[in-house]
Amino acid sequence: MPEMTYLQAISDGLREVMRADDRVFVMGEDIGAFGGAFKVTDGFFDEFGEGRVMDTPLAESAIIGTAVGAAVVGMRPVCEMQFADFISCGFDQLVNVAGKMHYRQGLAVPITVRLPTGGGFSGGPFHSQNPEAWFMHSPGIKVVAPATPEDAKGLLISAIRDPNPVCFCEHKHLYRRVKGEVPAGVYETPMRARVARAGSDLVVIAYGAMVWSALDATEDLDGACIEVLDLRSLVPLDEDAILDSVARCSKVVIVDEANATCAAGAQVAALIAERAFEYLDGPVVRVAAPDVPIPFSPPLERAVLPQADDIKEACRELLAY
Amino acid sequence: MATDTTLGSRAAEIPATGEHLSSDDRVALLRYMLLMRGIEERAMSLYKQGRVPGSFYDGFGQEAVSTGAAFAMGPADRLCVLHRDLAAHLVRGVTPARIFGQYMGRAGGVTGGREGNVHFGDRELGCVGMVSMLPDMMVVATGMAMAFRLRGEARCALTWVGDGATSRGDFHEAMNWAAVQRLPVIFVLENNQYAYSTPLDLQFAVDPVERARGYGFPGERVDGNDVEAMFEATRRARERALAGSGPTLIEAVTMRMHGHAAHDDMRYVPQELIEKWRARDPIDRQEKRVRALGVDVAALREQVAAEVEGAAQEALAMDMPDGAGALDGVFCAGEAEPLGDGHAPWSRFREARDA
Amino acid sequence: MPQMGVSMAEGTVVGWHKRVGDWVEAEETICEISTDKIDSEVPAPATGRVSEILVEPEQTVPVGTVLARIATDAGAGDRRSKIAQQIGRHPEEHLDAPAAQAEPSAETEPARPVAPHAPEPAQARTNGASAHRERRAYSPVVQRIAASEGVDLSRVSGTGRGGRVSKQDVLAFLQQRGGDVSSEPAQPSAPPQPSEPPLHIESPYVEGPGEGPQRLSRMRRSIAEHMVRSLHTAAHCTSIVEADFSGVESARRALGITHLPFVARAVIDALRVHPDLNATLDGESLTLHRAVHLGIAISLGRDGLIVPVIRDAHELAPEGLARRVSELAERARAGELSHDDVRGGTFTITNPGAFGTLASTPIINQPQVAILDLEAVVKRPVVVTDGAGRDSIAIRPMAYLCLSWDHRALDGALAARFLATVRARIESWESS
Repeated sequence: MPEMTYLQAISDGLREVMRADDRVFVMGEDIGAFGGAFKVTDGFFDEFGEGRVMDTPLAESAIIGTAVGAAVVGMRPVCEMQFADFISCGFDQLVNVAGKMHYRQGLAVPITVRLPTGGGFSGGPFHSQNPEAWFMHSPGIKVVAPATPEDAKGLLISAIRDPNPVCFCEHKHLYRRVKGEVPAGVYETPMRARVARAGSDLVVIAYGAMVWSALDATEDLDGACIEVLDLRSLVPLDEDAILDSVARCSKVVIVDEANATCAAGAQVAALIAERAFEYLDGPVVRVAAPDVPIPFSPPLERAVLPQADDIKEACRELLAY
Repeated sequence: MATDTTLGSRAAEIPATGEHLSSDDRVALLRYMLLMRGIEERAMSLYKQGRVPGSFYDGFGQEAVSTGAAFAMGPADRLCVLHRDLAAHLVRGVTPARIFGQYMGRAGGVTGGREGNVHFGDRELGCVGMVSMLPDMMVVATGMAMAFRLRGEARCALTWVGDGATSRGDFHEAMNWAAVQRLPVIFVLENNQYAYSTPLDLQFAVDPVERARGYGFPGERVDGNDVEAMFEATRRARERALAGSGPTLIEAVTMRMHGHAAHDDMRYVPQELIEKWRARDPIDRQEKRVRALGVDVAALREQVAAEVEGAAQEALAMDMPDGAGALDGVFCAGEAEPLGDGHAPWSRFREARDA
Repeated sequence: MPQMGVSMAEGTVVGWHKRVGDWVEAEETICEISTDKIDSEVPAPATGRVSEILVEPEQTVPVGTVLARIATDAGAGDRRSKIAQQIGRHPEEHLDAPAAQAEPSAETEPARPVAPHAPEPAQARTNGASAHRERRAYSPVVQRIAASEGVDLSRVSGTGRGGRVSKQDVLAFLQQRGGDVSSEPAQPSAPPQPSEPPLHIESPYVEGPGEGPQRLSRMRRSIAEHMVRSLHTAAHCTSIVEADFSGVESARRALGITHLPFVARAVIDALRVHPDLNATLDGESLTLHRAVHLGIAISLGRDGLIVPVIRDAHELAPEGLARRVSELAERARAGELSHDDVRGGTFTITNPGAFGTLASTPIINQPQVAILDLEAVVKRPVVVTDGAGRDSIAIRPMAYLCLSWDHRALDGALAARFLATVRARIESWESS
């Protein structure tokens, strides 16, 4: 299997699915001849032409809205938000038009919205956000957030083939920093959780870049046997996998890079409180960004975004509980 | 002037367009308008009887705008219909009984009770239901047109948009996008003088039809109470669209003759304005033309009234939806089925189909 | 190497506009760099003389790597007071870190929810034990186990914070029950390593090695010397058997420990049957040992590996072995092992399977004559035969046991018999 970066895996998945399905096209700002702000669509313009690799005006609402229009007449658009943060400008089209369409009138909206999320590189308040919980709270939208290159490709293909709107949260910090073997060809990764490392004393539940922070923090933590559960999909949320890990480990640390209040991890914590109470051997512990905008300067940003040491400390506290 | 709510001499008397409309077509236009008015009046009485939950919105006095525009559209064209454009659904083939069921939240309504009012679209008849955030559907229609162009299909998309919605960003995004990509899309700006209680002079400083030129495509002002003029303007816009010449903005100048909704007595509208527009009632005007063709209009009215009452009774007999089904269908679990073709009753399309 | 975009991880120097000794003005282009996204000129961050160029053209280096040093004149003509300026300094090394970092005030420092949210009195750490003895609260899982097993929780001593009773405490108590229930229950043994094979994933956050050659650490040099000497000394052969861990699996789950102590116990039993493997070979002199002093390889991560010895391991049950392994691992990682702790072993077990490997060829720990390697316990379809001789396919937790042995000291048949005994012990384990 070829080894690819997370970014190459996304690009590879997109290219393969476009070769296989004429209905799939990509649209976004600067994605055509320029190849995209992060170069995900580098070379696509030459291979697929300007029609299927569409440079759009700077208009996020229209990017989502026109994708909805194209989808309901039989296309499979893949929209790129240059940064996930900008989805706020397309929020209405996504949550009100796309998300509610099938429930209201039985009309499926197969669109994929690629959201480059996350911080850790001095992107500041408008290039660092993790907005996935906004969409978890909006019925009718699926939300996936891969951590590995293999999952990035497989989940992107699953998202594009899904008959529903899917927010594909791709973490910018992983783009060129994580490499892994990626199967060739078109394959779908299920929208279910994955045990990144099996364990028995405590489980750390995370998604996206925080999976790596969790693995890093707990690789060798005072000899404890720590499980790491990579959620991979937030909607649908793999409740069985979460409850299974909790039943086995009895102690839980939940990590979000997003702001803490009502984040994905808050939903996971609520689920555990409701349905795994009898298995808990300590309080459910959360590690998340406090409710502040993501600051620019490195020391400030580090103080806000969860670090491996924070996870370590949380695990130690809970192990000793 | 932005506040000039009447049509100037330029567009006041567009002659009836015998060239493209057969006598049957002209009767059909009247019939759809009568049907829309009849359904909305009956629904209002059901509302007052407590049989229509929520609120009730109608398009009294604006029947020509949706009838004329929808009548020009082909079966493979796609429409995003606004809440005062009930006739568009009738033209595309939605039956009156399902519309009454929709108003009353019945299982047999178009959305099975998921949605109310005219917030619906029949997927199988090529229409997308509106959302309340206006003018979101302008962008969606633009996207449909984008797909048609991408696939090289001779089809177009049409949506209606109100005067108030021209102030929002999506109006700009859709106008600009459609122009940049020269898309086969028609925007019908339904200028009915008021956005809820807000008059035009509080909405914009320049009439939005003037903006079209700024984006790079034509804007045309039409008497929105003349159904044949509406048809003709839309027909020409569709020809432009299919020829690859890009979008058109049609401003249909009309008047909202009822309140924003059933609960609104619209005391903010001067009485003389109402009187002035009452004299321009679109149904009265088309009736005169049809009567001149020798058609028995009274019989037509009776026939429509009977159809409306039959449909209302049919809907009243429909079951209410089962609460247990409220959680179903948030996500599509099977294949994504795109929109189907709608009815296209204009004689030209019928002839083409029969040929 | 400056960060030219949020996702950039490395860049290549295309060429230098200045050479060592050249004068450069601040903001003047000093070099050109290239990434997979853009090419860019790099302006000098300070005025001064180029004192060192550290990255040659065509070389690709990670973001944050120092490319060159510029010597700046602090005062007029004072050549000695030079301050090295770095191009592409890593953010952590910013000279002018924001004040908030130096002196975070209570208002500006963001509060981070990392600690458990459970109410925890401030004094719990100091006098919590007595406080908890007066009013003990039990977690849901502890209460559930206690209710189903009929445990009087007031008799269970806790090892959690302030004497709190944890799930492991109850499980340990249950294990002890049947003997003298009133005695203090055993300390729960924290397994030193994950019991299940983890998916092997490289963390992107591991700091990369520095540029250029680095001298091996003392520990690595010592490991290197020992390993090479062993390979040169012993006639290494490796034999592999597969064992069914079903019985061990349920037993270890009940005790909350890993597979390793069970394998250790099985090995000890087998060594008693085949003492030829519990031996040391020094040149031409072979010594067979009666006592089993069992070496357990403990990974210290990137630092290396150490093999502490459990003396008189034959006297210990799996739980006792687990506890000793855990203690030794803890002390090993804390760097607290004494010389006595690591010598005198008669046989060694290594356990890379904890990290998911399926087969390995371990190197013998000299002067012993064999080493056993426990591989990952994974579920596999296997053919099982019932009492009536009927075959069927079942899903069983299976693992390979890889024995490297010294052909100077023994032969393949003996190694095979030893492995067969180990396997039989493992497969006959029944959960108590």
